[in-house]
Amino acid sequence: MAKYNKYVQIGPATATAGAAETAMVKVSQKYPNIVVVLEDMGMPGLEWFKKNAPERIVECGIAEANGAVIAGALAAEGFIPFIHSFSFAVIERAYNQIRQSILVDRFNVKITARDAPWGDLGISHDIVEGIACTRCLPNLVILNPADAVEAEKAYIAMVDYVGPVYFRMEYSAPAPYKIFTEDYPFEIGKAYAIKDGKDATIIATGYLVTEAIKAVEILEKEGLDVGILNISTIKPLDEEAIIKVAEQTRAIVTAEGGTIIGGLGDAVASVLSESAPAALVKVGVEDEFSQSARLTAEVDELKDFFGLGAKDLVISVKEAIAKREQFKLVRK
Amino acid sequence: MAHSPEVIAELEDKANLVRRNIVRIFESSKQGHAGGTMSSVDIVTALYFHHLKLDKNNCDWPERDRVILSKAHAAEAIYAVLPEIGYVSRDMLDKYYAFRSQFQGHADRWCTPGIDYSGGSLGQGLSFAAGMAKAEKIHTAIHPPTVQVTTANYPKLILKYNPAYRVFCIVGDGELNEGQNWEAMMFAAKYKLDNLVCIVDYNKFQLDGPVEMIMPIEPLADKFKSFGWDVREINGHSMREIIDTLDLVNNLYGDGKPKCIIAHTVKGHGIPVWESVHLHYSRLEGTTIAVKEGREIYG
Repeated sequence: MAKYNKYVQIGPATATAGAAETAMVKVSQKYPNIVVVLEDMGMPGLEWFKKNAPERIVECGIAEANGAVIAGALAAEGFIPFIHSFSFAVIERAYNQIRQSILVDRFNVKITARDAPWGDLGISHDIVEGIACTRCLPNLVILNPADAVEAEKAYIAMVDYVGPVYFRMEYSAPAPYKIFTEDYPFEIGKAYAIKDGKDATIIATGYLVTEAIKAVEILEKEGLDVGILNISTIKPLDEEAIIKVAEQTRAIVTAEGGTIIGGLGDAVASVLSESAPAALVKVGVEDEFSQSARLTAEVDELKDFFGLGAKDLVISVKEAIAKREQFKLVRK
Repeated sequence: MAHSPEVIAELEDKANLVRRNIVRIFESSKQGHAGGTMSSVDIVTALYFHHLKLDKNNCDWPERDRVILSKAHAAEAIYAVLPEIGYVSRDMLDKYYAFRSQFQGHADRWCTPGIDYSGGSLGQGLSFAAGMAKAEKIHTAIHPPTVQVTTANYPKLILKYNPAYRVFCIVGDGELNEGQNWEAMMFAAKYKLDNLVCIVDYNKFQLDGPVEMIMPIEPLADKFKSFGWDVREINGHSMREIIDTLDLVNNLYGDGKPKCIIAHTVKGHGIPVWESVHLHYSRLEGTTIAVKEGREIYG
């Protein structure tokens, strides 16, 4: 077993859905001004609201454009509104509404969405562009936790933070490993090095951190010491942490459950080319839409089809190392 | 209670003052959304100088009535009012469209004291207004009022009880093409937002031409009614009709129905050169003629 850093204790796969549920109930008691703005797609912690605070439920029906603006208005009046659905609906269907009636005035709206390229619902619901289409929006914080522990902490931190946040949930993915210990200090805007390495670094986000861990274990057996940097805040991006690992290894692989066009890979590429030249291989969905796969048996197959599994990461790490040698980049 | 002719005459003078300020705005900016601004002047004047519950010393007073200008391109009409209330300096009238100005191209909550909604992307204002009205209902549900507001401490309203604030939303006729308005209408009726008043500035023209040709919205009153709204139709340039109707819908508070006032107006009203062509947007050379006309009429 590879050597991991503090606050990391790799454990069995644990779904993150329950973490959001638990966190929502916790924050709803702490903040009596949280309101849930429903778009006929449920919400983590909804049962608690039905039982304890039905007056804080606002149901908009299948009308995401209206829902987003209602949320903005409620925030303008001092509430902390949550909107939730699949990302194609809550975000893409209401993209301009989120821009105009939430982000322009930095209204304190929390957007949570099921957003991943893998699932059983097909091309309409299994989204590749979730990160790419939100990263360019000013005033928006984007969170994408790697495991259940981080999901709960990030969820709570999102509410403590005053301003609009997009909390991405890769529900339909195969459950990620339990990665962090309970005392892991999550902070918005901070990347965390799960493992240091001197040969290469995988910069991963969300479920792909689990695949990175699997890949690092395989590479360890082959004699390669590869680090993992967990990016759970896609925006604002922790550039300092990226520069640090880039200087250490000069061979970077980015890994994300979404398109490589405009996603985490491109964000990291910008940092590398501006501040810390390093060989880069981007792992993510190529320029294509998703398709359905039966849960959970076939999701691994779909993941491999997209080239997002551990064995793809292993190949990509070796490719990055070869590029580094080819580019004659020197490690610090 | 009918308002005296003096009250009406005073408000009509105020409307002319607002028009004069708009002419001054156009004199320096040389361009702007002329038609929809002028058509809404009487409505805006009636609201700000007669009807709204405002604190002249505190534009953020939590219990102020909200004004959501969904047709935010007509911001000049409200910009012309704000210095008269004292929320911004009069110099701003010469800084419309200017870099770092409080008077942005479209109404902007972030930049301008007294503006409640950053608009410009049409069709969203009614949702925002409904959200604010719903917020008032939730606040009241969580914190029931302990002091009943009576006619003694707020004499303009003859009510058994009052909402903490009301929300007035000014929408354009053209923007009713946007489907989101109809989502907001369903929402407002569902949540019985009787603290919400939607005023349609029905000037009959949108950018590409007459509303009835671009995308017919008639029968508009019937549509609102069928969505569960209380609907009134008025002449949007008759000060008496405007303030009487605003008072009337105020007094209906408690009936559980959102209110719609369809105000029939004239695009470019008050400036003959704009009025004659139902002008949407005034540009450089046209503005010079309009400003000259405006100076002659409003001083």
